[in-house]
Amino acid sequence: MSGKPAGQRGPERERKAAWTVAAPSLLIAAVVIWAGATTEVDPGRLLEAGPRVWGFLERMFPPDLTILPEVARGLGETLRITVLGTLGCVIGSAVLGPLAAGNLTAPYVHRPVRSLLALMRAIPLILVAMLMVGAIGLGPLPGILAISFHGTGMLAKFYAEAIEDVDPLPVAALESAGASFLQKLRFAVWPQMAPVIWRDTIFRFELNLRESLILGVVGAGGIGLLIQTYVRSFQYEKAATVTIAIAAAILLIELGNAAVRRRVS
Amino acid sequence: MNAQSSRFPVFLTGVSHTYRGEAVPSLSGADLAVERGEVAALIGPSGAGKSTLLSLLDGRLRGWAGAAAVLGQSLDPLQAPDRAHRADIGFVFQDFALVDRATVWQNVLNGRLGRVGVLASLLGRFSEADRAAAEAAIRDTHIADLRDKRADRLSGGQRQRVAIARCLAQEPEVILADEPVSNLDPVRAEGTLRLLAETARKRNATLLFTSHQPELASLVADRLVALKNGSIVFDGKSDQLTPAVLANIYGSLPQAQGERSQSLRLVS
Repeated sequence: MSGKPAGQRGPERERKAAWTVAAPSLLIAAVVIWAGATTEVDPGRLLEAGPRVWGFLERMFPPDLTILPEVARGLGETLRITVLGTLGCVIGSAVLGPLAAGNLTAPYVHRPVRSLLALMRAIPLILVAMLMVGAIGLGPLPGILAISFHGTGMLAKFYAEAIEDVDPLPVAALESAGASFLQKLRFAVWPQMAPVIWRDTIFRFELNLRESLILGVVGAGGIGLLIQTYVRSFQYEKAATVTIAIAAAILLIELGNAAVRRRVS
Repeated sequence: MNAQSSRFPVFLTGVSHTYRGEAVPSLSGADLAVERGEVAALIGPSGAGKSTLLSLLDGRLRGWAGAAAVLGQSLDPLQAPDRAHRADIGFVFQDFALVDRATVWQNVLNGRLGRVGVLASLLGRFSEADRAAAEAAIRDTHIADLRDKRADRLSGGQRQRVAIARCLAQEPEVILADEPVSNLDPVRAEGTLRLLAETARKRNATLLFTSHQPELASLVADRLVALKNGSIVFDGKSDQLTPAVLANIYGSLPQAQGERSQSLRLVS
């Protein structure tokens, strides 16, 4: 870490290089110390809580499997919310993605659209969901809308990048051979974009699933409601069942997605 | 001009063009007439206007002046030719321009897109005649064993043969090829260029290709046309290419090579 690029050996340069390492390190250390000192983190509390944590874990076992049908219903709803929410993302991105692509639209179109997308991504899903519940009422619909809104912010950006990455040469070649606009899209543009679009959509589906688990906590449908209910009413053996079911569901979806992704790439 | 432009499949008179922001014209007052079934090579130093001339003939260049006709149909400096006319003019790209994720068969079949109904092709339906044309192109370019491979799994020489096959599948009456073998090693370059010329002759198509290797071009072409600074400075039979002519086209040879390698570096 002496920061000595070849050919720059003067003491002046070395002092400069040392500072470029030291200054950020000092800054980071200062921020960490400030955060620790002002947040009243007392490591002692963790030790004191030791026996209680153990009791807590004990109360989670054995998980109460009698609620499995209820868990399955909740997971089913979450899955449906995710599927429809992802569909919303795809529709929103199919419209906004091309508008955000620098090689398709003029700067006065794609710049504001990109800013809009950044804003949409920046608002956390849980906040969007709370606002939607306030506007529409309880149930899965606000959850679906919230996911569509939040996810489009990311997916449309990915779609735009997929469009920008299309090699124009094969498109020109088909045009030269007499292909029409639609034929160019179908035979030169889409084959280049398809694997990226599939991969990104699957990725967004996975993120939507993870993020939508929490939607129930704010009344926007799905299994989140069960977690909240059981934890708040101290029914930890039931909360444990929900937790295990969620983990299993996510693992399953991940495995499935990995298989699909291998196929499309 | 009309009688002549319909007699010659490739016909240009007084064609000029300057790229936006450039002081020197890329083409200035070029005249050229190529006979049906002729194999002609455009030679000349880098930046002489060879590629510009070809993209003009392919209907992809805008804002040029003069008169140009391909297969008796005038080209418009303001807009691209219609589908049928584009389909009659084949083009082989220097960088192959294949659809990487598609198979060799689909890439060759893409050459038929200007000839088929749009809706049918979007549904993946190609007629027997279209398939037969693609099959013939695959046979002529000796790539039958590659037909189910994806284009991105092929070597450079194989890719260029697929690009040629796609062009032949069009059944074009005029074939334009822009530096068709510059990405290949010398042995493959000569083989591929001969293949292109042979198949063009076999089909009685007119072939006009650019090359920065005059010796190689003279081995394959009947006729050489040299461009220098946008003007045609030599037009004659391949066996008329003498060292004196070469020196006139490229300047003194070491300097020409220096220029060439420099511009190559700029391009790559």
